Amino acid sequence: MGSSASHAAAPPSPAPVVASPTTPPVGLAQLLHQKTKENGDGEGPPAKVDWLDLPCPVPYEELQREASMSLKPELFEGLRFDFMKMLNQRFALSHSVFMGPIEVPSQSSDVIKVPSSHYEFGANFLDPKLMLIGRVLTDGRMNARLRCDLTDNLALKIHAQLTNEPHFSQGMFQFDYKGKDYRSQFQIGNNAFYGANYIQSVSPHLSLGGEIFWIGHQRKSGVGFAARYNTDKMVATAQVATTGIVGLSYVQKISEKVSLASDFMYNQMSRDATSTFSYDYILRQCRLRGKIDTNGVVGALLEERLNLGVTLLLSAEIDHAKKDYKFGFGLTVGE
Amino acid sequence: MASKISLKAKGKAVKGTEERSAEKCVKEWSNWAMKKAKVIAHYGFIPLVIIIGMNSEPKPHIYQLLSPV
Repeated sequence: MGSSASHAAAPPSPAPVVASPTTPPVGLAQLLHQKTKENGDGEGPPAKVDWLDLPCPVPYEELQREASMSLKPELFEGLRFDFMKMLNQRFALSHSVFMGPIEVPSQSSDVIKVPSSHYEFGANFLDPKLMLIGRVLTDGRMNARLRCDLTDNLALKIHAQLTNEPHFSQGMFQFDYKGKDYRSQFQIGNNAFYGANYIQSVSPHLSLGGEIFWIGHQRKSGVGFAARYNTDKMVATAQVATTGIVGLSYVQKISEKVSLASDFMYNQMSRDATSTFSYDYILRQCRLRGKIDTNGVVGALLEERLNLGVTLLLSAEIDHAKKDYKFGFGLTVGE
Repeated sequence: MASKISLKAKGKAVKGTEERSAEKCVKEWSNWAMKKAKVIAHYGFIPLVIIIGMNSEPKPHIYQLLSPV
């Protein structure tokens, strides 16, 4: 007890003073210099910006990545069971069962739901250079993704959704080039879809980008611009397109566990303006995301990690105006 | 003169149809190739992923494909 009291009583500051006479004076000078530098970073002016060494921006399609994670959780209705089995560090098989109503798009404002069920089998192969993901459903639909790093900077991505019905399949090729502080992408899709986008870092926090696309069969083309400002604590993005869509989003990270997001979308063709507010709590055992809309839609998704890699999912979405109530529960086994 | 014009017109028509049939050939072949590629991708992509996965290191056993453990 006496020893612990003496340990507690001994202040830490004598320790460097005791150590310094044994080290040469140069060492002491360095120690003091480092201490003042640490003090200076907290209070003095920020570090000088090296305009030729800006960080690489996020890819154009992931501009609103943080916002989408909070604002667009995967809400579902019915029963969902996912099982992912890792055979290898890189190779995994997944089995997924779904039973519940699926919404059918309708012209009127009524919501039409058709009960259905499916089993989905999938195989994933994830390598640093090559990624292959394939999923096939019981009704014959197949979803395939391929990502290959051809060189350090050039990547090829292919995404295909194939069905047994003719003329309903879709495919998209994307070539990504990553430069020092810019990224560019060229896309070719079926139905003669061509698109290109480019994003550039203009400061350590701000990146600007633009995109252009052309749909051959409908002779439509569009141009869009995007901007993203991010710091450690917040991300703000803005997107404008000639298709008449304006989108703004803002995500603030309150702490390691909590982040809040809000989003504003204006569609000029249908004169629709929607704003969404959401929260994201990442706790040790669970992740809870909730959102509320200016259309009066409230939704929440809870992912609770029970022990041993089993995760319970509870999802709810309530829309009083359209009388659409969606409740779902599910279990995910494996990663 | 009229016969010359008609000959010229016929010549142009023959050349035009030849070009158009060459374009049609290319389109037909590319359509046929896309259809075959779609069928091959539809049935062959997941077996391809499984084969690549089973041959990666460390090699998993065949029974691990089917058993739920």
